[in-house]
Formats: sequence, structure tokens, C-alpha cells
Amino acid sequence: MKITFVKKILADGSPCRKCGDVQQRLDESGQIDHIDEVLIADERDADSPGMRLAAELGVARAPFFVVEDGGERRVYTVYFKFAKEVLGGGEGKASDAARDILDDNPDLDYV
Amino acid sequence: MAYEPEVAAAKFAEADPRDVLAHAVDRFERIALSFSGAEDVALVDMVADLGDKVQIFCLDTGRLHPETYRFLEKVRDHYGLDIELMFPDPEAVQQLVREKGLFSFYRDGHQECCAIRKIEPLRRKLANVDAWITGQRRDQSPTRAEVPVVQQDRAFSTPGHPLVKFNPLANWTSAQVWDYIREYEVPYNELHERGFKSIGCEPCTRPVAPHEHERAGRWWWEAATQKECGLHITNIREDDIKPARASA
Repeated sequence: MKITFVKKILADGSPCRKCGDVQQRLDESGQIDHIDEVLIADERDADSPGMRLAAELGVARAPFFVVEDGGERRVYTVYFKFAKEVLGGGEGKASDAARDILDDNPDLDYV
Repeated sequence: MAYEPEVAAAKFAEADPRDVLAHAVDRFERIALSFSGAEDVALVDMVADLGDKVQIFCLDTGRLHPETYRFLEKVRDHYGLDIELMFPDPEAVQQLVREKGLFSFYRDGHQECCAIRKIEPLRRKLANVDAWITGQRRDQSPTRAEVPVVQQDRAFSTPGHPLVKFNPLANWTSAQVWDYIREYEVPYNELHERGFKSIGCEPCTRPVAPHEHERAGRWWWEAATQKECGLHITNIREDDIKPARASA
């Protein structure tokens, strides 16, 4: 199994805050050891490795994870779901899981 | 037989909200209405006619307007219904306030605060029901233009706990909701008389002009460009983009 983590650099050159949050969670939990490759999706460069992978897979948001296993590729755009389903860990803090849900369903703030 | 939201959505696509609610309570015993303290009080009025079959809850973020708290109490008294207030995890709120202060959303964006004060309590509540009811309407915002009357909840369903979401007002316009409120003399939040179309937390909600969209009254300080999770791949040719199997 190969796991790729794609994080983004915004069009103004600044790092994506959400990507930084996920990176921190990976580092603090030790899950980073399971990540085989980290790619940068630089919005200023359509040919950057992360942008090309996003285009190839039809992914329209970042950060995201690609899990390659037995010739099959699965894409995860929600960290806690990735952590739970792929790494077999818990969801971490409830507030982090809630943030992931909101990031993936931005309209939910309007309840 | 398992419930099929898509089939129900087609069947009730043009149905009156009361018929949608009657169908919902007929199919689900564990069902709850999320009441925001705004014009979705019309749904509370409709649900009241169904007896006590529907749980009613409100996300009390701790930052609602005083008028909204008074209104919640007024609704409780008027209908004689229990309204469960869902509170955020105090430890999470304390940590947020300790680290970032009481108004971090003006600086860092509203999502972190909303996740703690709204989404986590909502998730906790929805873990104990099989269906929920919202006041979402297609005319509320462009992102809701396709909201169906019934749908599988994509945000809170899990493999072991599928959740169905009913949006009985999806087809109604704001004007229709207000016609209902007036016709049935439904109590409403006094903030609506002061130009509030949408009502959320006090620091994050403001009145809007008549020509402005509802959502313009929320998080107005955030530019659209700050919604940063999108991957702006405009430099890539459309031909390069292929559909992929996405798990999340």
C-alpha cells in the first residue's frame, strides 16, 4: 500500500492553513510515518506534482490523500475519515472531526 | 425494506411541507427537527400538529442574540413542546477562547468556531436519530439551489449509521414561509423586524438590505477567496481532468 499526502500552496504563495493543520495532526500522532510521499499542489504552477495528481484524479480540493493498494486508488479529502479507514486509528479530537465535516460540507455553517 | 431517499425525493419533489413531514414521521421513529430560532419556526408549527413524534433541538452556541434566547422560550411556551438545547463541549470552547480569544473568527475565519460550537454538538445529536429535518430552502443561497426535499445525509452518515435528511421547505421561497407565518399567526423572532433575514450567532450576523441575499448577513468580513479548501486548477486544461473514484 502506498499513501500520498497532497498539500497546497495558495495562489498568493502562502501555505494552505488546513493543510498545515492536517500536517500537524499527522506529525503529533505519528501517522506521518505511514505517509510514503508528500506532494505539493502549487496553485501558481499547474505542473506542480500535486496539481497534476489532482487533475489526474479529478480532485478539486486540498489537502487530500491517495491510497494505492492492489492496483486500486482511493481518494480521501477528509482527514478523519482517512485516519479511521486507512490507518485504523481513532478520529482524534471531536472538534477536529467536526472541523473536517464542516470543511467538506461548507454549507453546514448555515444551520 | 431499506428506505430509499432518492425514491422519496422524486415522489415528494413538489409536495406540501406538511405532507413531507407526515411521511417522515411515518417512516422514522427516531427523528429530530433542527430549529435555528429563525423563520424555520414554521416547521415547529407544522411539527406541533403531529404530536410529540418529532424531537426538536436547537444548537445553543452560547453566542446567540438575547432576542433569540427569548424567542426560544416563547416558542416553548406557545406550543408546549420540549426544545432540547445542544451545547458545545465546554473543554473545546475553553481551549479555543484561551488560545485565541473570544473573537478569533474575525481574524482566522469562522469555521473553527462553528465546528466547535455548532457542528460537534450537531453531530452528537444526530448520532442518536435515524433522520433529521432542516429548514433549508433552495432560495437561501446558490449552494442550496439543488437541495432536494429528501436526501441521504452525506455529512453525518456513517457506514454503520445511515442518516436521512428531510428538507420540507426546499421548494418554498422566503415569501411563502412568511405567508405561512402570518396566516397561521406563528410567533417569530423579533430580529426579523430589524432587517435580519438570517439569524445565527450575534457576532456573526447582521441585518441586510432588502436587495441583499440572506447569506450576505453572515460572515461578511470574509472574502470568497478565503474559502481556501478549493483547489483552483484553472490553469489545467479540462481535458486533463478525469473523474476518479473518490472515497470522501
